[in-house]
Amino acid sequence: MAPALRQALDEYLKDASKKMKSGLMFVKLVNPCLGEGALYLFNMCLQQLFEIKVFKEKHRSWFINQSVQSGGLLHIATPMDPLFLLLHYLIKADKEGKFQPLDQVVVDDMFPNCILLLKLPELEKLLQHVTEQKEIGTRKYYKYSKEKTLKWLEKKVNQTMAALKTNNINVGARVQSAAFFCSHQVSSDKEEDYIRYAHGLISDYIPKELSDDLSKYLKLPETSASLPNPPSKKVKLSDDPVEAKEDYTKFNTKDLKTEKKNSKMTAAQKALAKVDKSGMKSIDFFFGAKSKKIGKI
Amino acid sequence: MESIDEEDVQKHRVHLRPITLRNAAPATLHLLPCEVPVNRPAPVERFFTPAIRQGPDGLQVSFRGRKLRGEEVEVPSGLEGYVMVMEEKGEVLVGKQDFSEGSENDEQEEQGLVEPPEALERDFDRFIGASASFSHFTLWNLETFPGPDAKVRAALTWPRLAAAIHAPVPED
Repeated sequence: MAPALRQALDEYLKDASKKMKSGLMFVKLVNPCLGEGALYLFNMCLQQLFEIKVFKEKHRSWFINQSVQSGGLLHIATPMDPLFLLLHYLIKADKEGKFQPLDQVVVDDMFPNCILLLKLPELEKLLQHVTEQKEIGTRKYYKYSKEKTLKWLEKKVNQTMAALKTNNINVGARVQSAAFFCSHQVSSDKEEDYIRYAHGLISDYIPKELSDDLSKYLKLPETSASLPNPPSKKVKLSDDPVEAKEDYTKFNTKDLKTEKKNSKMTAAQKALAKVDKSGMKSIDFFFGAKSKKIGKI
Repeated sequence: MESIDEEDVQKHRVHLRPITLRNAAPATLHLLPCEVPVNRPAPVERFFTPAIRQGPDGLQVSFRGRKLRGEEVEVPSGLEGYVMVMEEKGEVLVGKQDFSEGSENDEQEEQGLVEPPEALERDFDRFIGASASFSHFTLWNLETFPGPDAKVRAALTWPRLAAAIHAPVPED
């Protein structure tokens, strides 16, 4: 039993009696930032994906009518852009460096429910933001494009910044003190705080490596204690001869080598997650998770 | 690997019974500032509710001899509150063995963010339903009023921000 907030799904509910089983379901899928499992809610009728965040504070419990529930957890379901999840698989598949059909990109032994992502509407339109595409016959083939992805992420940062401003969320100590003295003067410092904060929020949905690239792309000044990045083995995107690498005969030959690489990636990501991220805000701020690993918030 | 059969995939899904969302009766919820380490019926209406007083600055009550101060918190507009209960089928709890591989669980739990409720982790196709609904709850603190800086309030501003993060971006 858990108190949970759920986005109103009125339209769906009108139609609810028709299907008992194939409508709303909770599934575990990958967290695109950490590579670990996370809980999501699928609405197959409205074809929408929701992420579930859990509010958790020490020393809390619920009274629910005439009962007591320990933990005091509050689950919040909010619509999620499926592109963040698709991106996780596209980046993974990009290590093979070729165009592939989507159903061979979105495969996962650990989280087999990832196939639900393929049923979401307007995937092709979404994928245009982050991939190069080719059409051969009736099939579409996709390849991750870092350039396009960074452009897409910049737009995400911009619209998040706008929301931070309209919701009057304090993005830094500097903002607060400035507000006392000169309420209408927008300094350049303040703008930078917003970008940094928005970048931090978006970074909770993308791998660390991409987050660093995005930071450079947005020309954010380096924060203090960032680890020297390990030399990237990735082929540089700009001078990658795409044509030469195509090989439609070997779709998704997932051999042991890639398996190993992937587990290495997770370990590396874990290590990087311990990096001091002060100055970078994360979603944890909203859920009271106090973790030293996240850094001071 | 591509031949994961449908049945196997089904094992990881928890289906929400939509009808229960429509029929969920409103519930009274209190978020207490202490850990009661059990889940069971409690005579809230006999001991807790009658002791709630409307003071000049807000709500007051006492629990186990300690003074609590409280205030009503609204569920943000556009959202609905539900109490979810997992349907018991008498199956064996398999746990999360399929997910723990290659992930350091202790770390994940410490972070406590993406951890689903225990009940949702059972490793087979199951059903969950709403047993009650709510549009507000009472937030209690020890001695002092929770105020605008209460952590749960920050969590409740999340949906508005999440909407911006996840909204589709305009085309070029």
